Amino acid sequence: MNARLIAYMMAVLVFCLGVFMIIPLTAAFYYGDGSAPAFLISMTVTCALGACVFLITRHRQDLYLSHRDGMIIVSLGWLIAGLIATMPYLISGAIPDFTDAYFESMSGFTTTGASILQNIEAMPEGILLWRAQTQWLGGMGIIVLSIAILPFLGIGGMELYKAETPSPVVDKLTPRIAETAKALWKIYIFLTFSLIVLLLIGKMSLYDAVCHAFTTMPTGGFSPKNASVGYYQSAYIDIVILTFMFLAGINFSLHYKLVHGNIKRFFLDPEFRAYLCITVAFIFLVFTDVYVSIYTKITDALRYSSFQVVSIITTTGFVTADFEKWPALSQVILFISMFLGGMAGSTGGGIKIMRIILLAKHSYLEIIRIIHPHATTMVKLGGVPVSQTIMRSIWGFFLLFMGIYILGVIILAALGLDMVTALTAMATCMSNVGPGFGGVGPMDNFASIPVAGKWFLSFSMLLGRLEIYTIIVFLIPAFWRK
Amino acid sequence: MRTIIIGAGEVGHHIAKKLSDEKKDVVLIDKNPAKIRRISEDLDIQALLGSGTSPRMLRQAGIEEAELLCAATDSDEVNLIACLLARSLNRHMVKIARVRNQEYLREKSLFSQDLLGVDLIINTQDMMVKTILSLMEVPGASEVIDFLDGEMKLIGFLITEDSPLAGKRLGGPMIAKENLLVVAIVRGHKILIPSGEDTIEPLDIIYTVVKKNDVNTTLTLLGLPTRPIKNVIIIGAGGTGMAVAKALDNRRLNVRLIDHDGEKCKNAASLLNRVTVIRGDAADRDLLKEENAGDMDLLIAVTGDEESNVLISLLAKELGTKRTITRVSKLSYMHIVSVIGLDTVINPRMSAVRAILQYLRRGKIISVSPLREEQAEAIEAEAMETSDIVNTPLADVKFPPGAILGAIVRDGEIIIPRGDTTVQPHDRLIIFALQNVLDQLERLLTVKLEYF
Repeated sequence: MNARLIAYMMAVLVFCLGVFMIIPLTAAFYYGDGSAPAFLISMTVTCALGACVFLITRHRQDLYLSHRDGMIIVSLGWLIAGLIATMPYLISGAIPDFTDAYFESMSGFTTTGASILQNIEAMPEGILLWRAQTQWLGGMGIIVLSIAILPFLGIGGMELYKAETPSPVVDKLTPRIAETAKALWKIYIFLTFSLIVLLLIGKMSLYDAVCHAFTTMPTGGFSPKNASVGYYQSAYIDIVILTFMFLAGINFSLHYKLVHGNIKRFFLDPEFRAYLCITVAFIFLVFTDVYVSIYTKITDALRYSSFQVVSIITTTGFVTADFEKWPALSQVILFISMFLGGMAGSTGGGIKIMRIILLAKHSYLEIIRIIHPHATTMVKLGGVPVSQTIMRSIWGFFLLFMGIYILGVIILAALGLDMVTALTAMATCMSNVGPGFGGVGPMDNFASIPVAGKWFLSFSMLLGRLEIYTIIVFLIPAFWRK
Repeated sequence: MRTIIIGAGEVGHHIAKKLSDEKKDVVLIDKNPAKIRRISEDLDIQALLGSGTSPRMLRQAGIEEAELLCAATDSDEVNLIACLLARSLNRHMVKIARVRNQEYLREKSLFSQDLLGVDLIINTQDMMVKTILSLMEVPGASEVIDFLDGEMKLIGFLITEDSPLAGKRLGGPMIAKENLLVVAIVRGHKILIPSGEDTIEPLDIIYTVVKKNDVNTTLTLLGLPTRPIKNVIIIGAGGTGMAVAKALDNRRLNVRLIDHDGEKCKNAASLLNRVTVIRGDAADRDLLKEENAGDMDLLIAVTGDEESNVLISLLAKELGTKRTITRVSKLSYMHIVSVIGLDTVINPRMSAVRAILQYLRRGKIISVSPLREEQAEAIEAEAMETSDIVNTPLADVKFPPGAILGAIVRDGEIIIPRGDTTVQPHDRLIIFALQNVLDQLERLLTVKLEYF
């Protein structure tokens, strides 16, 4: 284990997080909301800590990163980032309880968007902006950001990138990993900026526009309003945010190819087509369900159903309607959507469309093999065979995901949550969505969950965001053996 | 700069590593999924699975914007077709191809700008023959690199237990008096740039810069025989063995060529005049004894099987052969060969890597030789007027700690540098530097050590 390099990476990460606090600090000063001292203190402490460790560890680096080091850096990085982000909450007194603060900051970085805040609008502006910003940083990945910043992370960078990127197959877009990371962040920043401009056109205030853009692009779902996006009652804003949630659910490699003029590749991508088809089909089902029964106007039915389906399927978690009042079919569709997530390599959570397609194809081929026992079958995606290794890792992921989900539901139920709340709270956290049903529905929050439950759900969010393997290895004794 | 490398074999792997360490964009194409997976874990490059002779694949690798194609697969045909495709897809790129078949190599027009437009042909066999012949000029050397058209030599010696230098301090009276400039010591798999306080230990390989005429003095100092090589035994009548045998055929030497293949022996006997061709198994101790291997000055083991080469050389050493040259292809064996007592090892892949890198360096760097898996480089460069190194006594020049100035050549005179020596503009410098200080050296020389 390369302890020195791990410490060095952590120092850089901690320092960067401190620097990023300058944005909410500015807002805190501007609005005079009283949270400025908290940000000043947090920023000083964080930067000083980062700088000290950096200075101690910077000399004569052995730049070799093993598989294990990569996983340790990513997991530790996320845990530490979660800790750092609690500082402004605790010092300003906005969230006085440590458990609550850690839940909120983990929900931020993992882009879940589940909140323990009862009255969001009463919070200082700086705190809410910080909350949105944690989602924005976590969406594209804090480690991918470090890869883009740190020039020396050549070979080891790939290990880190793999450990953090939510995809079964990792696409290296450019020969150099740092260039790939930079390219992804550029697209991400560009889309965020476009969204801010479009929201401003829709007469949203600059502050609200920034907050929403910061939480839409990472498919996070924190909103500075109690009623979420529903607060604005604007069809324009709904459509803009819906479009960008959908874009954020697309694999960023595809965005990259689109930027480089490969439009055909974009629309021919099998995963993109499946993503589009599933989304449209789910919207259609929910739309027919809520039309007449809930909404009498066809445009309203279409607007609310499509927004809610896209919001849940991309694991954003914005709310424009209280979908708990919708009929059972709509609720079931939304519940299932939680597990799907966006495309692999997007900022969404969940199982991801690519895995679902491959699992379905594989299962189909197994049936074919029963009919033709001597058939040679091969799972293909877009005409390209998918290797057995990848298929095995996808099956493993799927089983682990469902296994942990079931275990989680049992634990939550044992802690006293009712069945609907337990079933959906676990799903919404593991898939990084945000709202669930029952006690954690769109109009409720996670404040009433017991302390142990909050810690367990924070852990589940991290499991979901780093796609299980990166975290679960630490629980296996073989990892710690020499 | 984007480089496309075809073939993830040892040559391709090393070129990719070297270029990617120098922050170049490298795309590598290979047909073997296991190799692709391995290399994308090891190196920061883009590794694509596919055929190097597929235009679609080459486009995907970005050939339109690439500046260099290096076709280094084991198949001549694949390499040549890849160059042909590269020529049609991107007319201006530099193309390097590894070619082994002598018949192709004889057709010079094939590689001309009218046809394939190959800028550099890598022919490892020719390189190895050249290396063997230059090693024979300096008996006892384990590596000889020529500078200034052979006027200056960088020579590596393996220090044996009974060498007079073993255990001596570099700054000590014996070494300092004789003007022996040790520019590097290879110990195990580490390269040290020594200071006066370092000691030479047995099994070290020391590198020294020597004038052509002073080679014998150095040999005497090292306790090595200066007598030219007379009796040579070559094992293996394959391409390399035959080429060496042919080169030695007309010299007044006692040369024997051993191979166990009857056809090869017949062929060899018909082509060679003075060389004695012997059919038999060279790994047979009795045969070696019968052929007096113990009294030979040199045994060259160049069969296609590297494990046999190593064992035959060890056997010969045990019988008393003074020197052996052993062909070993696997680079990972390179570290251990000096430890088990083999003095000289030649490696076709290393030669290929070296030739490619020498070709690629541009600017005022005149030639460059990567050493020991490219951890270090010997560089021949011209001193620029603008450089900090000129007109200042060397003692005051801030040389990077991993670099050493081996020699200065001014108006045909060779100067061994001391603290009070001053470099003048347009002097030629021979510098030995570790890879990790190359950028500092670059700044000092105000020369871009870059590949173009």
